Amino acid sequence: MGLIQTGASILTSLLIGALTRFAQTTRVYLLLAFSIFAIYWFQPAVPLRSFDFWLPSITLALVVLTWFIISGRDTWHSSQNLIALIMIIGLTAIIDLSRYFLPEPFFTTAAPPRFILYFFFIIILTIFISLINWLFRHFFWILSAVITLLILILIILKTPALSLQTSIFIRTLTNRSVENASFTDLRWLGFSYIAFRLIHVLRDKSRSPQFALYGSERDKQAGRLPELALSEFATYVVFFPSLAAGPIDRAERFAQDLRKDFFLTQDETLLVGQRLAIGLFKKFVIADTLASIALNNLLATQVRATGWMWIIVYAYAFQIYFDFSGYTDIAIGMAHLVGIKLPENFAAPYLKPNLTQFWNSWHMTLTQWFRSYFFNPFNRWMRGFKNIPLWTMIFVGQVSTMLLIGLWHGITLNFVVWGLWHGLGLFIQNRWSDFIRARYPNLGQNTRVHSALQIGGILLTFHFVALGWVFFALSEPSLSWQVFRKLFGM
Amino acid sequence: MRTFSLTILTVITATLLLTACASKNNNGPAKAVEDYLKALVAKDADRLSTLSCKDWEDDALLELDSFQAVTTRLDGMACEQTGTDGNTALVLCKGKLIASYNNEDQELDLSVRTYQVVQEGGDWLVCGTR
Repeated sequence: MGLIQTGASILTSLLIGALTRFAQTTRVYLLLAFSIFAIYWFQPAVPLRSFDFWLPSITLALVVLTWFIISGRDTWHSSQNLIALIMIIGLTAIIDLSRYFLPEPFFTTAAPPRFILYFFFIIILTIFISLINWLFRHFFWILSAVITLLILILIILKTPALSLQTSIFIRTLTNRSVENASFTDLRWLGFSYIAFRLIHVLRDKSRSPQFALYGSERDKQAGRLPELALSEFATYVVFFPSLAAGPIDRAERFAQDLRKDFFLTQDETLLVGQRLAIGLFKKFVIADTLASIALNNLLATQVRATGWMWIIVYAYAFQIYFDFSGYTDIAIGMAHLVGIKLPENFAAPYLKPNLTQFWNSWHMTLTQWFRSYFFNPFNRWMRGFKNIPLWTMIFVGQVSTMLLIGLWHGITLNFVVWGLWHGLGLFIQNRWSDFIRARYPNLGQNTRVHSALQIGGILLTFHFVALGWVFFALSEPSLSWQVFRKLFGM
Repeated sequence: MRTFSLTILTVITATLLLTACASKNNNGPAKAVEDYLKALVAKDADRLSTLSCKDWEDDALLELDSFQAVTTRLDGMACEQTGTDGNTALVLCKGKLIASYNNEDQELDLSVRTYQVVQEGGDWLVCGTR
């Protein structure tokens, strides 16, 4: 999101918040309407013709499909859901029709496709959703199939080779130049976050008592999803403040906020204003300034001196933090203006004395997601094998989780190494802490020793994380290795 | 599901009526060339790609590359369809493309070439010059 889009979103939030005080239903519809426009407006340009329209449209199609699966059949005919459905189809139709009545594209970066194509899209979608729902009535595995479909799309988007092949396929189908195909052609706004929100509700639905597809009673209790209206569900998935970069909220928590009447007091408004100002400053002043000297492929090859290399690595560490946490501040601030209290994503991560605490305060909603849907179930499953030693379980659990978090950012060797770096780091820190605690139980009781350990821990953790960014920021492991050699004067 | 289908049918009918009432689309050949030139000076490779036909896409991107080191702008650009050649529309533009480097302007007269524009899937695409 650029400055103009951010500014417009803040103003819209202010307007919606002010117009709909104590008008809960109107607020939900207004939020849904703007969120629908936003997914088209925020979608970056792509060289595949009309895909700046089709990608957001497929996002909405997946939202509607998922809602039909998770909602009870008796709720489909309620007027609230009907209005929401008409809004979704009607607004996307208006966006498509803008091709005919606006001199320049406004909602999308290029002119939307002809209406006849949109018409066929809706027809195919209707048949597809009807078929899935019919199948779902008879086969519960459809729910797992939809989760698999979402993961498959994520894998295609995150794997450069698969993305390239998909682009070639689309270009061939649409009579475009195949030679110009690139793995960056499919830039799908916020899909990583949207997919995780959809998987969260589908997974929780699968745990609910009527399905009992998976595991324990505890799972079934924990996974009970409230009945969500289409307007609430669609707003949750494509909520414009958290569309592009999170946080990943939970549906039941989000719905609670949506259903509440809200009124911002003067003090709260002031706090939100502060949060927005801090976020804008972090993202558009600090992060954008640091970006010019932060580690990238070009600087990694150009910079030769050890001192300068450390500076660009530090610059990257702070740039990524200020950029991401600034964006989160803006998202949380905007959401607060319309009565939604999005979860925090950062809690001073660079001031944490060990890696476990770092990961409990960096991109918190993503780590919580992985903890809920991978780490905890995986660990419970491993505990079933009585002969696996504890250290092996910790090793496998932590390394595999961090590996998946790495792969979520992109399925490339560098993200694999970055995931392994943190997985091994967490494992070593876990074993070391246990070892020290057992040998020296009173070590931290002396205030001076405690302070020294804290400061030492913060410095060590920060440098471990900063060195990890060398894999994250660059595209090739060989390039990262070159940077390491320069950093340590080799 | 019946309600869902009915809803879709209603919306589609309403939008079809809207389409019928909407003004005729203005994405003609001249507009396509104007958009192409705007994308060229904005150095917007994605947009330029979507405005070029398959055979011209490489050349369009090559042309964009040639302007990478300079700042570009359009001056008095206006395009008009001058004729057709089979399925190809011929478009001529007035005005200049100004490329600046180090405060030194180089003016490129847009009227020296005629753009060939073809219609593919309802969209007009630049497909070469003469």
